[in-house]
Amino acid sequence: MATKISFILNGDKISYEIKDHWTLSYLLREEMGLIGTKEGCGNGECGACTVIVDKLAVNSCLYLAIDIDDKIVETIEGLASTDGTLHPLQQSFVDNGGIQCGFCSPGMIMSSKALLDENPDADREEIKHALAGNICRCTGYIQIFESVEAAKELAVEDKGGKNG
Amino acid sequence: MSDYNIIGKRMPRVDSRAKVMGKVRYSADIKLHGMLVGKIKRSPYAHARILSIDTSKAENLPGVKAVVTGKDTEGVKWGVFGYTRDQQFIQTDKARYIGDEVAGVAAVDEDTALKALDLIQVEYEQLPAVFEPMDAMASDSELIHEDFPNNINIHVNIDTGEVDENFKKAHYIREDTFTAPEESYFQAEPYAVVARFDEDECLEVWCPNGGPHMKSKPLSNSFKLPLHKVKIKKIAIGGAFGGRSEICPADYICALLAKKTSAPVKIIFTREENTIATRQGHAMITTHKTGVDKEGRVLARDTTCYMDGGAYSSTGPIATTVPFLSMEQAYRMESVRYNGYRVYTNKPIRGMIRVHGRGFACGLDTQLDMIAEHLGIDPVEMRLRNSRQPGEYTNTKSLVSSCAMDETIHKAVEKSGFKEKWGKLPPFHGIGIGTNSVQTGFPMGIRGGSQSFIKFNEDGEATVMTGVVDNGQGNDNMVVQIAAQELGLLPEDIHLVSADTETTSSDPGSYSQVSTFVGGQAVKNAASNCKKKLFDVAAKVLKVEPDTLKAENRLIFVKDDPEKSIPIKKVVRISLLNFNSVNAEGGYWPKVDMKREWVSNPYGQMCEAFSFGTTIVEVKVDPDTGEVEVLEVTASQDVGKALNPLVLEGQFEGSIAMGGQGGMLTEYHEWHEGRCVNPTMLDYKLPLACDMPKINNIIVESIEPKGPYGAKEAGMSIAMSAAQGYSAAVSNAIGVHMDSFPLTPDKILTAIKNKKQQDTAK
Repeated sequence: MATKISFILNGDKISYEIKDHWTLSYLLREEMGLIGTKEGCGNGECGACTVIVDKLAVNSCLYLAIDIDDKIVETIEGLASTDGTLHPLQQSFVDNGGIQCGFCSPGMIMSSKALLDENPDADREEIKHALAGNICRCTGYIQIFESVEAAKELAVEDKGGKNG
Repeated sequence: MSDYNIIGKRMPRVDSRAKVMGKVRYSADIKLHGMLVGKIKRSPYAHARILSIDTSKAENLPGVKAVVTGKDTEGVKWGVFGYTRDQQFIQTDKARYIGDEVAGVAAVDEDTALKALDLIQVEYEQLPAVFEPMDAMASDSELIHEDFPNNINIHVNIDTGEVDENFKKAHYIREDTFTAPEESYFQAEPYAVVARFDEDECLEVWCPNGGPHMKSKPLSNSFKLPLHKVKIKKIAIGGAFGGRSEICPADYICALLAKKTSAPVKIIFTREENTIATRQGHAMITTHKTGVDKEGRVLARDTTCYMDGGAYSSTGPIATTVPFLSMEQAYRMESVRYNGYRVYTNKPIRGMIRVHGRGFACGLDTQLDMIAEHLGIDPVEMRLRNSRQPGEYTNTKSLVSSCAMDETIHKAVEKSGFKEKWGKLPPFHGIGIGTNSVQTGFPMGIRGGSQSFIKFNEDGEATVMTGVVDNGQGNDNMVVQIAAQELGLLPEDIHLVSADTETTSSDPGSYSQVSTFVGGQAVKNAASNCKKKLFDVAAKVLKVEPDTLKAENRLIFVKDDPEKSIPIKKVVRISLLNFNSVNAEGGYWPKVDMKREWVSNPYGQMCEAFSFGTTIVEVKVDPDTGEVEVLEVTASQDVGKALNPLVLEGQFEGSIAMGGQGGMLTEYHEWHEGRCVNPTMLDYKLPLACDMPKINNIIVESIEPKGPYGAKEAGMSIAMSAAQGYSAAVSNAIGVHMDSFPLTPDKILTAIKNKKQQDTAK
């Protein structure tokens, strides 16, 4: 069965004809070519495919594409500005070594974004809790925590700059 | 002041910008015109003769483009060594584990490919199967490979002599047996491979691999193609940890399907396939018998290890030896005998993994602690009395030139407050220490060296070509840092072409901690040769001698008179106007004993440098649940020279997560009749963000004279010592020396209960 859905993807209004059984990760990766979202298990275990739907971090390999109708979807491709300026979280992951093999990174950054959007002052324990669904086999997570913490500071500076 | 403006700096990795933007492509991300979906039919039986395969129904399914079986192959067996050629990429006569490759299909989409797999009819005759090495060695066991009596795949025997005599002189002797089951890599990226034959009939392959040149040879053999027609392409790799160096049967099957269909084919492994059909770590049963003098110095050790090798050899001779090597590098022994047996079983294939023999290593350190306790020595002193010293030879005759093992122990002890805490912590609260050492490569014959080419472009920027692979650990950045430092450029001026068999020279691959020491050194030498050419031109312009010059920040200047300078870009252009291009090559071949062989001659210089690591762990154990809370981990490694502390600390922390937190507390496989019952991330317990303790990193630099800028390797001896530190801390907390790893709550509760009963009986 095919259904036409409308949603906002990284700020753009999109209409797309999908098959009802498609997952969101299939729609993003295979249909729309947004390969930034990775698939590490296909069972909602590893978090590599995390994207944000209506402010909530979700495993796009389990989330049906049909369920994003009328919703707002954010993926890793939507974070940096078109001029190439990185989002504070992305910059912070680069500067603080939050990246090794990079496969879990898009999901990790999207989970971090969902957390900081909701709780800009998240402390270490809250960060650990929010990232518990994103498995990283390389880093031991410490530099990821440091990246998220440093991103909080960058975000505050950004706001200061704009207001000032 | 450091002589270096780039080496030793906390530099963000050159590959991380593209990675945080989601722009980096991994093998599964590749899309080619007309690409088909490939799937592999696997044996449902642990040991079975293949009587017949009927592919007709599958072939007739609309959308199926090709089906391949063993009949489509030459029946050639592959093995890393001449004497280990035991694996066909598609089985023709029998299947030896649940998951063994039996057939492959290529279809227009995944649904069709999966349906086709079901339509392939294989008639099997089930054979008796064995799942434990001790059973497999029993005389009445069915042979898994006919040429290997008692299913013994590899027997490594090392004997330095005088072992029995020294046992007689010993003041105290202990013999203990330690066990640990299999562990898995669980790389973030599931295995995936794309293959096609291009317009020149060259085979192109994209897959996560730790050694492109290691992959091209078996494919060249199988397809009877010259090596230049096998192009293993560079693609991002989502982690390896030792599990992605060898050829994977899927590489061959994918290429065979591409050949048969004249179309590109992509195979993506499920998470379960990644666990059972790539590699796993070996399960081990290790007996250490150790004799010491009154001061606790080891006079004699006799170690026997039985390793569950699974169905095929893989890197068996290496895997059987490396746990021993780590031991003899880390600790002095007057004499030692080692018998390592790698035994075939009807289980998935075992290869090299980050912690080489956790049961072996943790058993060794546990026994040292037991001996120390008997002698009334504390664990730190016990290690210092036996620790490796610079300038010594290992028992198998490798010179250890640089070694700061003692410094790693002293610094970790001081930072962790070990001395203040040892013996004074409250009940169920413990602290433990582990020390270890790893090698930077080993004799690899014609693939033991690396070569690099560098060319300057007319804009003063440079392209560096090297076979060095980045599995995720940061080797691309390592190479760029070295080239930029040596050429006097900035990292952004370097364009890297790497890990591609068409454009780069042979390299060992990212294997056995060899990349920095060998590959990095080759790049440094190439850059140095290139710089000489620049200096010759610049010296004439500046009217000085070339040896008075230095290159830094895109400038060449006179060391004693920095105002006298010329931009590198200008030097390149002057050179080109004088009919000379600026390029150079350089290589590095470590001076190892090429006569050393794993089984036939396990003596001689193994590699040129060894890293040394100490990890101290403090834990609290809940006596009601058996759960372990890790309070603090202090890791200290002699890395030679820290090329980039930011990257290095990430290696330490990842090593602690994998070797200690996961490897010693939660990670193991469970089996039912040869079937792995926890192949997924839900059932196999990997460390999560919320599990990680506080970590203190201590970098110790011994400046290895032969390493690039003095560097050795980054983090591996932490992975090993972390496992030992974790087990020692838990044993200390519960007052029982544990002999079965990992230390899961059930084992801890049983140990506490047994100890209570024993204490009451006393």
